[in-house]
Amino acid sequence: MDKIKITIDGKQVECVRDQCVLEVALNAGIYIPSLCWHPEVKNSGGSCRVCLVEAHQEGRSRLVTACNFPVREGLEIITDSELVKRIRRQVLENMLTRKPDDKIIHEIAAKLEIKNLRVFENDQDDTWDACLACGLCVHVCEEIVGVCAISMLDRGFQKRPGTPYDKPSADCIGCGACAYVCPTQSIVMEDTGDIRKIWGREFKMICCSYCGKPYIPEAQVEWIVNKTGKERSYFDTCQDHRGM
Amino acid sequence: MEHIKLHSFEDLKQYKSRILHSKKHAIPTVLVCGGTPCLAKGSRDVFEAFSLEFTKKGFAYDVAMEVKTTGCQGFCSKGPLVTIADKGIVYMEITPKHVPEIVEKTLIHGELIESLGYRDPRTNRMIAEFDKIPFYAHQKKLVLRDVGRIDPDSIDDYLVHEGYSAVCRALGMNAAEIIDMIEASGLRGRGGGGFSTGRKWRTCSSIENDIRYVICNGDEGDPGAFMDRSIMEGNPHAVIEGMIIGAYAIGSQYGYMYIRDEYPLAVENMRKAVETARDYGFLGKNILNSGFDFDIKITRGGGAFVCGESSALMKSIEGKVGEPRAKYIRSVERGLYDKPTVLNNVETWANVPLIILNGDGWYNKVGTEASAGTKVFSLAGKVVNTGLVEVPMGITIKEFVEEIGGGIPDGRNFKAVQTGGPSGGCIPASLQDLSIDFDSLTQAGSMMGSGGIIVMDEDSCMVDVAKYFVSFLAEECCGKCSPCRDGIPRMKRILEDITEGRGQDGDIEQLEEICEMLKHAALCGMGTSAPNPVLSTIRYFREEYEAHIRDKKCPAGVCKALITYSIDPETCNGCTACTNRCPQQCISGEPKQPHIIDTTNCIKCGICRDVCSFDAISVN
Repeated sequence: MDKIKITIDGKQVECVRDQCVLEVALNAGIYIPSLCWHPEVKNSGGSCRVCLVEAHQEGRSRLVTACNFPVREGLEIITDSELVKRIRRQVLENMLTRKPDDKIIHEIAAKLEIKNLRVFENDQDDTWDACLACGLCVHVCEEIVGVCAISMLDRGFQKRPGTPYDKPSADCIGCGACAYVCPTQSIVMEDTGDIRKIWGREFKMICCSYCGKPYIPEAQVEWIVNKTGKERSYFDTCQDHRGM
Repeated sequence: MEHIKLHSFEDLKQYKSRILHSKKHAIPTVLVCGGTPCLAKGSRDVFEAFSLEFTKKGFAYDVAMEVKTTGCQGFCSKGPLVTIADKGIVYMEITPKHVPEIVEKTLIHGELIESLGYRDPRTNRMIAEFDKIPFYAHQKKLVLRDVGRIDPDSIDDYLVHEGYSAVCRALGMNAAEIIDMIEASGLRGRGGGGFSTGRKWRTCSSIENDIRYVICNGDEGDPGAFMDRSIMEGNPHAVIEGMIIGAYAIGSQYGYMYIRDEYPLAVENMRKAVETARDYGFLGKNILNSGFDFDIKITRGGGAFVCGESSALMKSIEGKVGEPRAKYIRSVERGLYDKPTVLNNVETWANVPLIILNGDGWYNKVGTEASAGTKVFSLAGKVVNTGLVEVPMGITIKEFVEEIGGGIPDGRNFKAVQTGGPSGGCIPASLQDLSIDFDSLTQAGSMMGSGGIIVMDEDSCMVDVAKYFVSFLAEECCGKCSPCRDGIPRMKRILEDITEGRGQDGDIEQLEEICEMLKHAALCGMGTSAPNPVLSTIRYFREEYEAHIRDKKCPAGVCKALITYSIDPETCNGCTACTNRCPQQCISGEPKQPHIIDTTNCIKCGICRDVCSFDAISVN
């Protein structure tokens, strides 16, 4: 692995060539906001644009997204130049068009000490809550879970994740990974008793034989057993009581 | 004629001389335009009529006559076009009933029928000689030279016109020499980016990998643009030849041709051309015994505008959703299937054989120092002559509009040209001496784009024009990144407010702010160039925006919410033409007495104004 040095806000940081700026910054304790990026999901990022930073390289400077800009020796990153601040504010305000009271965007603004976010009117009626259409849910479903039950539908302002033709998907195993990673908590997942509702389908949950809590959909267990050959009995207890 | 698979340069040479001898080399040859616009106007019937007339008359005289269908001959507004090759004659708006006269007079007796030529609107003279018609005389056809001259269905016809000679020459050179030559020629990407083609090839060939790809981008999506379509329809083998040379130069064995599916004729001609090229041995294993293997696969586009963006196009070929990716690592390093990839557009590829055959020194003498060669444009809008045009880089906007375009119709004044497609910009008449080349257009706030030119006259409202392009972009935005997905609809909404009389102080500044965000924060080229239609119109026509916002007036008389129609009682003679045509029946008055418009029911369709022969109806 090629160890290299870059500077972020004047601070020298050691990192590995091709790592992304965001990862390097977070490891070094430098805050750069991000929504659509997840360190474990290879194809995530590049969508929400809140992680914009100023990159100086080979005599050229430009704004780049920290989540997918690969580091090279001598790279200089500025996370709080006037330009970055101005554009980042505009990006956040622009996102508020979808859902003016969105909690997470206001939280980011507060962390960055951006005051008085302006809210612009929006007359499109088919907004999908605060969904950023970042596609992290889709990437998780494909890359991490490996079932591809959802994908991005439509385009432009209407773009959103969903099952094919918005019909209940036979591929979905109800694992809820999509809802778990969603940065804006826009995916509705409801657990009532031993029934989980997500993407228009109901899933029967298995209850832990030790504590009695419903903890995993049967469909997910079946899928894992088929895929990995693990003993079904392994799932009789939840992760907290396994081996008890 | 039976073809054989050609196994070597010698085979090709012998085969070429055989076709040349076997053809009686019919003179005269009638070329019937088979481009999409002429086909729509009935050129197929004209072709049939010639064939029929030849069988009837051809034998009676000792004249060998041949008729063939060609690709676009350029002057689309005057189709169907018929060119008499070798005589330099072009006849316009031809129907089957003209055919017997053309055969009798021109083909048999060599007479010119001027009445079937072009009427010069300035002199009213009829001109049928190709090089005397201003539309053609000011062009320089290099890439289009054979489009409109050869039958795109016939590889033999292409071979007779020096076809595949460039491949033969290139396969005898080494790869580095070809790249040097392309770089020295100054060829820059015709898809709009204007990046040096030679440099792109050089970088790609320097990346270590056992697989490399070449791609031809034929996903021409700009409204009103048809340059690439015309080349694919009219001279498909030139594109294939360019790709073979490019692939050989960078060491690629696999080519993809991505063609917009809304171009059925281009897809068909390209597919046939690839098949015949393969049959002849120009594609496949061990091409002409050179040891070089290369083949091309055709992929049809799915209809998204953004798939013309190179990284989205590659995703689409891979069978994924056509969305762009960040290009911090360029496609020449990691492109299609993560392999080094050279992507060029149709016109760029079609330039390659010309450079190989004629040399880089020949090529870079054409055009300007920084923008070598010619550029194909599709000329449309408020201009007398519209069609497919090829000019040397560096021609001025004025020359383009006045000489080739024949000026503005109906005595109106020239206001602006829009170049570069939806993400291009508007350049005002005051800059009409601006040279058309990559850098001048960018400096003026527009761009070359793939080569659409739309001419606008004083009846075009620039705010409305900006709204049109922004609406197009909002519709076509893929939605992957938030600045583009939410920012372009915001711009659209503000522009709608301005054109509908709800404009407020601060709207222009807000537009400028969104534009700044898009420029810095959008993910792909479509998003970062989306500000162009807005910023260029604000830059050159700010007073028009202000008139809409402050005075609630549309100076060009286009925005319906801001205009009223009225009849001047002094000029109106009560002819009733407007009354009869008004769809709302809101014009009243006695015959031969001045009429009035009831503005409460008027839908501002403008029909009354169009039908009035006395200029009595005005827009305020």
